Amino acid sequence: MPIIAGQIAFYYLAAASVASAVLAVTRRNPVHSMLWVLALFLHVAGIFLLVGAEFLAAVQVIVYAGAILVFYLFFLMLLDLSQEAAEPRFGAHWPLCAGAGLGFALLAWYSRDPGLVPTAARAAAGGPPPGSLSAVGTALFTQFALPFEIASLILLAAIVGAVVIARRKATS
Amino acid sequence: MVPVGACLGLSAVLFAIGLIGFLGRRNIILMLVSVEIMLNAVNVSLAAFSHRLHDPRGQILALFVIAVAAAEAAVGLGLVLALSRNRTGVNVEDLTELKW
Repeated sequence: MPIIAGQIAFYYLAAASVASAVLAVTRRNPVHSMLWVLALFLHVAGIFLLVGAEFLAAVQVIVYAGAILVFYLFFLMLLDLSQEAAEPRFGAHWPLCAGAGLGFALLAWYSRDPGLVPTAARAAAGGPPPGSLSAVGTALFTQFALPFEIASLILLAAIVGAVVIARRKATS
Repeated sequence: MVPVGACLGLSAVLFAIGLIGFLGRRNIILMLVSVEIMLNAVNVSLAAFSHRLHDPRGQILALFVIAVAAAEAAVGLGLVLALSRNRTGVNVEDLTELKW
């Protein structure tokens, strides 16, 4: 019974994700697009929960839905896009784009059964489940300590770069 | 519980939707949002791999993807802001200075 409930939840979340992604890409009003992207991010967080990635689900809600999306919405309100609603949403080359997207989806769809098998040692070890906070945290601060520090450096560089790019030029 | 193939199919479909949005939309902010949709699709497949292989490293890679997405949003929107100082509107079709 829990297996069936999990599958129903997965297919609901997948269908809702695809529907909100399509709506986000096709809406005329950019603010409506952002709200559909918010729905997409929350449903993807649900999928993360289903595949046992609790920490990733929390980060998805806090960072993506909380920080990045609010940042985008803030920008939309900073710019005056009132004339945007009257213009066509897609460029004249949109059939080519749709063809590229469909081609990519078919390509990836045909390789959807990767035949992955967990290594016997891992399956037999039986330690904590891989999604548990302790497993992720331990790997993040031991094996991946250097990439973690580099990620913080990238974020620092992005902050400084955004300020430098967006700064109004001083009148000389 | 969750079939990994279905997760990868969902990831492919989400990535394709983001690709169509990135290539087709005229509004540069919505192009950046489509990039976020594509990065999210990649995160779904990374989490599915992590689940299937009983290995936390997929989730750690997804965390780094989220960090880079945040950095990309900051720099990209900074560029859009600098751009919107010089012209009205945010249509990519108006940006033809570098066109050969």
